[in-house]
Amino acid sequence: MLNIVGIVIVGAILFPIYWMVVSSFKVQGEIFQMPPTLFPNEWYVEGYTSQLGGALGRSFINSLIVALSSMAIVVILAIPASYGLARYPVPGKKWMILFFLVTQMLPVTVVLTPMFILFKKLALLNSLAAPILATATLGIPFSVLILRTYFLNAPKELEDAAMIDGCNRFTAFLRIMIPISYPGIIVSATFSFLFAWGDLIYSMTFISNSDMWPLTAGVYNSMGKYGIQWNNLLSFATITVLPVLAMFILLQRYIISGLTSGAVK
Amino acid sequence: MEINKRNLLISLAYVVPALIFMLVLIGYPLFYNIKISFQHLDLMTLNNPDVAFAGLENYRKVIGLDSFHIAFKNTFFFTFWSIFLQFTIGFALALFFNMKFRLAGFLRGLTLVSYLVPIVITSLLFKFMFNQSVGIINYILLSFGFVDQPIEWLTHPELAMWSVIIANVWVGAPFNMMLLSTGLSSLPDDIYEAASIDGANKFKQFVYMTLPMLRPVIMIVIMMGFIFTFKVFDLIFVMTAGGPVNATEVLSTLAYKLSFDQFNFSQGAAASNILFFILFIVSLIYLRMVRSDEVM
Repeated sequence: MLNIVGIVIVGAILFPIYWMVVSSFKVQGEIFQMPPTLFPNEWYVEGYTSQLGGALGRSFINSLIVALSSMAIVVILAIPASYGLARYPVPGKKWMILFFLVTQMLPVTVVLTPMFILFKKLALLNSLAAPILATATLGIPFSVLILRTYFLNAPKELEDAAMIDGCNRFTAFLRIMIPISYPGIIVSATFSFLFAWGDLIYSMTFISNSDMWPLTAGVYNSMGKYGIQWNNLLSFATITVLPVLAMFILLQRYIISGLTSGAVK
Repeated sequence: MEINKRNLLISLAYVVPALIFMLVLIGYPLFYNIKISFQHLDLMTLNNPDVAFAGLENYRKVIGLDSFHIAFKNTFFFTFWSIFLQFTIGFALALFFNMKFRLAGFLRGLTLVSYLVPIVITSLLFKFMFNQSVGIINYILLSFGFVDQPIEWLTHPELAMWSVIIANVWVGAPFNMMLLSTGLSSLPDDIYEAASIDGANKFKQFVYMTLPMLRPVIMIVIMMGFIFTFKVFDLIFVMTAGGPVNATEVLSTLAYKLSFDQFNFSQGAAASNILFFILFIVSLIYLRMVRSDEVM
């Protein structure tokens, strides 16, 4: 009985996503039809097929480049930083941790104009580098704080044992600490990817050339147009959500533990 | 001495790359935003390094704007109702999924998808569902007889605010539920057994045992809710862009418009600094509450 109630509740919560996918396969006339159909009468796939060679395909590649590069930067910078903050008496450690904590609370508008000016000076406007660098600033503090707790809780004895066996501190870190902290690394990599994948404001502000827009900016800019082609737009949206769903299904366990440990610990 | 110096260098080598990255891309912008809020920076002076000092003028002007008053009030209204609803719904869901049944864990996890969907897509989806003519929400309300004609969700000033709040609650409630669930599962079972033997019913157990024991987690959830909701930008920007006629304007959308629609970068900076200042105070209280043992 509770199982059924639970399924109904979750069904209601996830209904918008179902509605997005279903509507993306309806012909324009069916979207306006009342009562609405829960399932397309006539399957419309042009929303996907005709756009894949054009804006949709291009944006998907752009999103992928931005999200993967941003994730790579975060992982490369955050893993050693969190390890250093967990294991060494770094001078100014408290202030560094406080800095990482506060950056997570910054409203985006505070850094938007200065970043715009900075990227203009560095000639990075209208390149994917701008959103890559900007979104990495979201992933780094999140990952440093999450990973630090993993490294703090990792058994120090293993590291000591590795050093007795001839590793130095750094190789012990590479060979022992990174492998045993993999759940934390998966969490921070996943979230860094998702932060960058979901970014609208940085891409929109720093890139004016529509060929370089990620999916989010593509969706946003098609929304304002007069007479929205809902089915085409929703196929764009469905493609945007697809990697998120895929990652969630694959990494559900890590995502949930990461979210709760990051917040409450 | 030699070794200490070496250790210091090693320990810094781990931390410094990330720190430099963040200082250049966040620390410097943060400082720069404060600087330009005391200058007159607009499109004309953007390339001029020596912009005149303006004192508190930008802050005075921004605070004097009618739209600032509206945005300020709206920000609190949006934050209060978002938190109230996402907390209550999140708590109810947490209590429900805390009951032991087979699919509980799986289903609870599944709701998190709404938290992970990119905000632009969430905004688009709710815009679609709230649409006056094609929207499913109006259809449901009409067919159950709650209303007798389609409602202008996004174009009616009062309803537009509720539309963005509902969308935001959809995003936030599962996250609240997750944190509260973790809190609930850490409560000891045996005292509940003792209480029911002593004749306390479920309601009394909830009010006199669950709530007090969960107090620390509840405080964290609400504080985090405040910090994340108070600065919401994308959702409102995409769903209503602050309209109709400022009805959903909040401090973050106002700051964005001052900077990137009117190109009055200094006033935009002042507005976003005011937003940041309020958040900073709340963040400090929050940090003191949760991280005091770990950080300080």
